[in-house]
Amino acid sequence: MLVLTRRVGEAIVIGSDITVKVVEVRGDQVRIGIDAPRSVPVHREEVYREVERTNAAAAAAARRTADVLRTRRSADPEA
Amino acid sequence: MDHQPTSVADGAALSFPDGIPGFPDAHGFVLQDLVEDGAFQLLASTDVDGLELVVAHPWPFFPEYTPEIGLEDQRELGIDQPEDAVVFCAVTLPEDDGPPTMNLLGPFVVNRHTGIGRQLVLDDAEATPVRAPLVLA
Repeated sequence: MLVLTRRVGEAIVIGSDITVKVVEVRGDQVRIGIDAPRSVPVHREEVYREVERTNAAAAAAARRTADVLRTRRSADPEA
Repeated sequence: MDHQPTSVADGAALSFPDGIPGFPDAHGFVLQDLVEDGAFQLLASTDVDGLELVVAHPWPFFPEYTPEIGLEDQRELGIDQPEDAVVFCAVTLPEDDGPPTMNLLGPFVVNRHTGIGRQLVLDDAEATPVRAPLVLA
């Protein structure tokens, strides 16, 4: 991983159209501003990884989930 | 929003140009009804062998759910008005035999006219939990 030191107000440029700027540093929190084309999705990593993990879990459990939902529905016609 | 179980027809072919998080190569899917009324459907990849997800419309279970579809997502998907969008979320039965959960953090949004969709990743994991317990009728 490339590690760069920047001061508040300074930025780095990724490619030709993505700019990442250090907006504020307070204690162990850093506020970061990102300028990117709208076609580049930007996510907090932990949120994106959580959706990745949940997709994997949903895929692994799909057969079991489908069987249970089918059974419950047929057992309860009001559902 | 009203419950619209068959707003994407049984057997519809869907296209996810970006894949979905964790499965970047899964571009093509087929959506099939899992139960007769289509309240639960199976989203099956046509690219990734064996990749399937059980999905359902969120509003019958979470009437207050209001995922925000950003401008860029609307533009990419060609969604000009709310009626153009079909929203569904993955349902997972946990390993511990607890109630099924719905992923409200990563809703699937599809243009009902073109079949083109993407899985959004919302910002607020507290307001829209990734594992919201599903209370079945």
